[in-house]
Amino acid sequence: MSNDPDFNRPTPASISKYVKGNQAKVKASQKMKMGGHGGAESVREADYKGHQIVVRTTYRVEVDGVPVTGHLGVSNNGQVHYHAVPNLSFDSAIDLVKMLIDVFPDDFSGKAANGHGSMPGMNMPGMPGMKMARKKKNG
Amino acid sequence: MAVIRPNILNNATARQKYAQGVNLLKNEFTGPTTQALGIPGPSNKVSTYDLFVIWHQMAMMTLTPSTQTERNAAHSGPVFAPWHRFMLRQLELNLQRVLNDATFGLPYWDWAADGQLTPAKQKKSKIWAADCMGNSGSPVSTGPFVFKASDAKSFRVRIDVNANNQLRQVNRGLRRGLGSQAPGLPKRADTAASLGTGMSTYDASPWNHSSPGFRNFLEGWAQGPGMHNLVHVWVGGDMLPATSPNDPVFFLNHCNVDRIWEAWLQKFGRSYVPTDSAPAILQGHRLNDDLSSLISPPTKPSAMLNLTADYNYDSLTV
Repeated sequence: MSNDPDFNRPTPASISKYVKGNQAKVKASQKMKMGGHGGAESVREADYKGHQIVVRTTYRVEVDGVPVTGHLGVSNNGQVHYHAVPNLSFDSAIDLVKMLIDVFPDDFSGKAANGHGSMPGMNMPGMPGMKMARKKKNG
Repeated sequence: MAVIRPNILNNATARQKYAQGVNLLKNEFTGPTTQALGIPGPSNKVSTYDLFVIWHQMAMMTLTPSTQTERNAAHSGPVFAPWHRFMLRQLELNLQRVLNDATFGLPYWDWAADGQLTPAKQKKSKIWAADCMGNSGSPVSTGPFVFKASDAKSFRVRIDVNANNQLRQVNRGLRRGLGSQAPGLPKRADTAASLGTGMSTYDASPWNHSSPGFRNFLEGWAQGPGMHNLVHVWVGGDMLPATSPNDPVFFLNHCNVDRIWEAWLQKFGRSYVPTDSAPAILQGHRLNDDLSSLISPPTKPSAMLNLTADYNYDSLTV
């Protein structure tokens, strides 16, 4: 075990110090390669009888016409997984997205007047007294 | 002197102190703000407890390496057990601090004992009573973690993620959906299998969801969801996304996971793979690679193999 007192006897000051030092890492982690409108590529590789196999799969997921931009990955056994629901893998991408709708009901709760769905995450309840800015919807 | 980590269902004092400590950490603000951490919305202070929520999500979003999509800094790879041991120990130390009790040991939930019950009785286990974790619901309405909008100090979920796994601010009650996404908890046969002779190898190539060995079985990808993963799925609600530490039962689950690992270490030896000689593609998971922390100095898997000087479990019968 470490002899560092910040490790063994944390204090509010030590916590604040380390969080300040790691702020950039938190921000960087939120920029994990996202699928965006172009989709997310997942690469599977395997060696077989001296041959190298590479399978590149791109998923472009939409719900109510709006992209779901988190990174959807595929394991070598064909299971699809998604970091927003990290303890599960699915036989199909459709089943995965159904789970997202169940787990994040606030994100898929409404449709805009123009028939397009709201961006995931933009329907969440605000903090008391806080007005949530809404993204301008594309036409 | 080493503390004892008890079974939460057998120790009323541990139940009470755990709830008290969690609520104290939920209302402790050491300086970090949402703005400084890049979380959208107006700047609000982040509690010490919520820093653990962010730490877990941050690790989930740190792919190791970035060229693949399974292994991350805390999951789906060898580092799963030591990283969570590190996180639990930091929580335990902070609970001891706010409780002013150096003898406090983080309790565990022996979920395989509940797994022996019928699915209906699992939902009515004593852990879901008002004097323990409280009930299932959206929001939870009994127990020590009930949200009261009129009470600024009452428990609430302040940081979660959206469907794109991006951190966001919220202000709501805790959500659970016991048994709604999976019919039942892991059973004794499962925990016994985790210590069977076929599990003597800690982990192996390809070091991910497909690996043979103890780690992948314990984490719950082998024939999944099983073990740890199944507990997350069975509890449901806030235990499903990457911000699952929002539910204080997260730490009771992981304390039991750690207990099972400790039983494995004592049976098969305090070993860990991959070693330092493993290729760079396993960086973040090798014996002496850094386990990063949001709130403390880093540590290494090698430093997490024997913490018996700090804590022991009241029982290693899993």
